Amino acid sequence: MSKLVARDITKVYGKKEVLHGIDLELEAGKIYGLIGRNGAGKTTLLSVLTAQNPATSGSVLLDGQPVWENSDVLKHLCFSRELNFGASNGIGALKVKEYLRTAAAFLPFWDKEMADRLMEEFPLNRKDRLNKLSKGMLSMLTIIVALASKAEFTFLDEPVAGLDVVARERFYQILLEEFSETGRTFVISTHIIEEAADIFEEVVMVDKGKILLKENTMELLDRSFHISGHEEEVDRMTAGLSVHHAERLGRSKGVTVLLKPGEELPQGFDVDIQRPSLQKVFVALCGEEAQV
Amino acid sequence: MNEILTQEKSIYIQIKEMIENDILRDILLEEERAPSTNELAKLYAINPATAAKGVNLLVDEGILYKKRGIGMFVTAGAKRKIMEKRKQNFYNDYVKSLLAEAASLGITKNELIDMIRNAQMGGKNYE
Repeated sequence: MSKLVARDITKVYGKKEVLHGIDLELEAGKIYGLIGRNGAGKTTLLSVLTAQNPATSGSVLLDGQPVWENSDVLKHLCFSRELNFGASNGIGALKVKEYLRTAAAFLPFWDKEMADRLMEEFPLNRKDRLNKLSKGMLSMLTIIVALASKAEFTFLDEPVAGLDVVARERFYQILLEEFSETGRTFVISTHIIEEAADIFEEVVMVDKGKILLKENTMELLDRSFHISGHEEEVDRMTAGLSVHHAERLGRSKGVTVLLKPGEELPQGFDVDIQRPSLQKVFVALCGEEAQV
Repeated sequence: MNEILTQEKSIYIQIKEMIENDILRDILLEEERAPSTNELAKLYAINPATAAKGVNLLVDEGILYKKRGIGMFVTAGAKRKIMEKRKQNFYNDYVKSLLAEAASLGITKNELIDMIRNAQMGGKNYE
């Protein structure tokens, strides 16, 4: 198993196109972070990548084999979705143990021992019905299913939503343990960027149905700078560079700069230079129009 | 090795410096096994590739060396090597910026020497 490739994926719901010509390559043996604002298309993208949702056009291939309705390929993919219960679907009435039994039936590499161990770790009561669980408990259940699936490519949609800090830290540890042991590929969407940034080898930013950026997290941070000082000095220094998210207060100005390959930060200016976090870089790239 | 990671610096640089600090303080001894990439990844909840980058920088500098199939070890003479390097950094990062800040405040050379002496004697404020 080496590569999951999406080619020119579009997805249209009714009259609304939510994914616009997405090209994406996911290599085996990495942890990817998928970040984007609400409504950017993250969940739709994940469901199309894992063939839980048909693309309107385009293809998704695992090592050249289409994933759509292809059980030989699908057994290597697991998308543990966020659980929510509309009035129309009946899974809310399932008990935890029934949900796990269903997962085991559909996931050919299911590791029951691991699922049992994680059930102790994240204390869930097997007899509880899903619609009685809190948001955090539902997250725990989706995490257990994702990890115990042992699928080569495992996708988690906001796994830490609703989890308390202690449980979140524990989740990252367990994830890294599993990753170190098996080298499985994980794709994780999250809004809690600050604490997960160090987990991601690569980050994929989605904005308005497009891939805004896909890059090694370390390399992205190494080329990102926050420059602040007198507006004129900042402007002089950053002239010709790729500048994002300018903020002004009186005569002072702060900008986020992303250097392109081969570019260097100009020296000899009277400004403050800081390293932004991944979250800041994300806001600088995706929050532009939120500004007045 | 149990410091808290900060946002100010790249994580792999911090990993590298923490291992160096442990060598300087004799928490890690020469010819002893250094923490593995996976151990570091788990302890700090960071991607193993990030931890590996920090560790590999130390290998490049001859502070750590790899024993095939066993792991990373601290090179003999690593402590002295780190001290020499840090001395150079001390000159670049502290002494030079000290002089630059002193110049911008109009502090003369003699005054500066006086200040250092005063601080060394345990003086709380500079008179």
